[in-house]
Amino acid sequence: MKKTLQDYKSIIEPVWCPGCGDYGILVSIQRALLNLDIDPENIVSVSGIGCSGRLSHFLNTYSLHGTHGRAVPTALGVKAAHPELTVFAVGGDGDGLGIGGGHIAHASRKNVDMNYLLIDNQIYGLTKGQTSPTSPLGVKTKTSPHGVFEDTLDAIPIFLSYDVSFVARANGVDPKSLTQILMEAISHKGMSIVYILSPCRTFPLLDAKGLKAILQPLPEDHPTDNKMVALERAYSDQPIYTGIFYQVQKPTLEDRLQNVITKVCDNTNGGDKYSLDKVLKSFA
Amino acid sequence: MLIIAETKRVLKNFMHTHPEMGTLEMEGNQNHSETDFAIRIGGEGGEGVISAGELFAQVAARTAYQVFTYITYPAEIKGGFSMIQIRIKHEKIYSMGSTVDYLIAFNQQAYDVTIKDLKPGGTLIYDPDEVEIKEDLNAECYPIKLTKLVVDATGAKLGKNVVALGALGHLFGVEFGVLEKLIKDRYGAKGGDVIKNNLNALKAGYFTAEEGNWEKKFKLVSDTQAKEHYMLISGNEAVALGAIAAGCRFVAGYPITPATPIFETLTDLMPKVGGRAIQLEDEIASLSACIGASFAGEKAITPTSGPGLQLMGEQLNLASMLELPLVIVDVQRGGPSTGLPTKTEQSDLKFAIYGTSGEAPRVILAPSSVEDCFYQTIRAFNISERLQMPVVVLTDQSIGYRKATVRMPDLSKIIEVDNSVSGETISIPSPEKIELASRIQMDPEKLNEYKRFLDTATGVSPITSPGLKGGQYLGGGLEHDETGKASYLPDNHLKMMRKRFKKLETLTHILEKNPPEYEGPEEAKIGVIGWGSTEGAIREARMLAEQRGILFRHLHPKILSPLPESQVRNFLAGLKQVIIVEENFTGQFAHFVKAKFGIKPIEIHKSEGVPITPEEIFTGIEKVARIVDEKNIARL
Repeated sequence: MKKTLQDYKSIIEPVWCPGCGDYGILVSIQRALLNLDIDPENIVSVSGIGCSGRLSHFLNTYSLHGTHGRAVPTALGVKAAHPELTVFAVGGDGDGLGIGGGHIAHASRKNVDMNYLLIDNQIYGLTKGQTSPTSPLGVKTKTSPHGVFEDTLDAIPIFLSYDVSFVARANGVDPKSLTQILMEAISHKGMSIVYILSPCRTFPLLDAKGLKAILQPLPEDHPTDNKMVALERAYSDQPIYTGIFYQVQKPTLEDRLQNVITKVCDNTNGGDKYSLDKVLKSFA
Repeated sequence: MLIIAETKRVLKNFMHTHPEMGTLEMEGNQNHSETDFAIRIGGEGGEGVISAGELFAQVAARTAYQVFTYITYPAEIKGGFSMIQIRIKHEKIYSMGSTVDYLIAFNQQAYDVTIKDLKPGGTLIYDPDEVEIKEDLNAECYPIKLTKLVVDATGAKLGKNVVALGALGHLFGVEFGVLEKLIKDRYGAKGGDVIKNNLNALKAGYFTAEEGNWEKKFKLVSDTQAKEHYMLISGNEAVALGAIAAGCRFVAGYPITPATPIFETLTDLMPKVGGRAIQLEDEIASLSACIGASFAGEKAITPTSGPGLQLMGEQLNLASMLELPLVIVDVQRGGPSTGLPTKTEQSDLKFAIYGTSGEAPRVILAPSSVEDCFYQTIRAFNISERLQMPVVVLTDQSIGYRKATVRMPDLSKIIEVDNSVSGETISIPSPEKIELASRIQMDPEKLNEYKRFLDTATGVSPITSPGLKGGQYLGGGLEHDETGKASYLPDNHLKMMRKRFKKLETLTHILEKNPPEYEGPEEAKIGVIGWGSTEGAIREARMLAEQRGILFRHLHPKILSPLPESQVRNFLAGLKQVIIVEENFTGQFAHFVKAKFGIKPIEIHKSEGVPITPEEIFTGIEKVARIVDEKNIARL
């Protein structure tokens, strides 16, 4: 039976503020999955804390709404244990660039075949408006009442220097191009990060109109295998580019784990118990 | 109904000797049944003291004797005091003992620190260029110039330990060929010169002992059957093997002393049995990955020590809330903070039981010996899977690094219990029978009525794992209703708290049905309660006490939380005084027992980073006995 968008919707109704960019992102994910015809029961979505953390509630997948900042290593565990699954990690700018920022470098080193959607609204929205690692310099928030005095983190160059094997930036309020990028990310074998700009209506630092004015797709001839060009364009702030900056093929965590098993596991003589017996005997 | 019928561990079975394993040749008039001696080698960290001791223990383990080692080492790679103690006995050994029969002192510090532990009439082997004997010793003293011999034999200072091994080998009648093979096995990978130098060092030690006419009191003869039936493993290795035997095929971890050997062993073994081992960037990520693996349906483990357990706190909470099985092993070390990374303590108990925000149920297990580390790890997986709850296994540095001869588990005795049916019984894993449980799965035919967090009579809800069509659910750290949907309603929170804690009650009911976990005469008026690695020392203290006419009962629960309450009450009934023995400063288990049972125990704490000895325990008990029953105590 042919699937519909409904197959990817859970029975729980989204609870984001009216006009939140996350609605469009949710539909884009569902549409990308539908277009790729991935069975919902073979998808695991792990999310962190914050507005974006709720995303897993609304997908009809095996969904795990975990703790703040730990979506990436949790998703890594899922994928390492069951590589046949399609795995998502979802988090916001606080989750992925603040509390959980350290995990991304290491999941990238392992090239875990997961899709990490980092949804940036430049503010801690769920807790009603505190400074995030991407809040612009000088902006007044609840925890920077006299203006933000730190520099913002620039996510794309960070991911490029981690050698993440798929790095993209997307406009959260442009569902068509977002769906396209998500489909590429899901199809990519290895760690893919889609950094999605999503305006927060309640504490607006980004807005749809403003995004449209500053964002511009990468040139059509952008070479996705050239990291230096990718870095140069990643650092550009006028315009801010969207699209796939970089994509490279390298062994995934599953490939690496399987290589070790192939090298040392000898269960030719009766499977698991034979290998276990050999292991025990080695301690005699 | 979930029933895990538990049967008592028959410890006695390990106490008998193994006459089928060949005869023991003896010189002198030692009686086989009385054979029990301890050897201690002490020196500077980096001198190979421990590896020499372990090699010797390996020789001893391949005889008809049982072997038990205890290791202490400094936190630094080089320098600091390092020692290994090897106890050899004709029957099962419960502790490292209080004194030693043989002392090998590489340097003055080793001599100064440990000479007080040498039994009168014992044997001292020492390097006369390093050690000055200041007092009159009631000991047989054999000087051996370790440094000079190794320099003469190899041209370098490295290898004093191998000289000592050669000398020890000769002293215990080990054939040179046996030692030679040992060295080749150990250093074979390092190539020709290393082997040649080590063999020269070995010879130097062996023949110095021969020329010195060192008196042989025992002869260790290797026994091929011993090799087949026994493993010489550490508690840490036993945990790793237990995890693999339990069907765990996923480990994620971060190195931390003294738990690292569990992780090292698992990273080596896991792929050999088709499993996956991953080192992560920290303990938080490690437990997160285990949660992910368990969510995907796998049995997962992470080994750590106190500071790591602390970092895992939030994820431990999450696992309890998601009702996912997983096993965390905490090899406790001296705390607080960085504390004494290489020393032993039992001071993470309260954190393990209570240490999370809110109230999140988990089960705490404490193995009491090296062998027990193997079986309790399997049990931890069984309980974790059946209750869908994290289980924390508390061991400690002393049990983790101690090596002991452990009977080879019989794999034909491993039975996987059907996981689609609840209501069957699962026994406590033992050498006689190892049953493996896994989580109760939701019937795929009834998915239309599936509620992941269904409140059942036992509190346990059948689960689905990714891949099963129609089994999708939301698991989250937010309070949720039976379906998984977030809910902040007052009634729902209470209901779900009850549901999660009901699983502990379910386990308590099962534990109540076990035979009592205590030993000792009914008429005893004193009761001693201990947990974890102190079991052997308490058991030996009981032997010492009985020789003096002091009787006590000894309760040593393996599951510390939840405690089987009526079992403990039965133990307490009729006792005039209860003593709680533990290796920490504040009496953590005592607090727990006091709060639960309203008793006022006398507490024996040791908080020095080293294991409590049978004599220390006996001294305490003796004082108590004088108060409890003066006239029945033999005068000292």
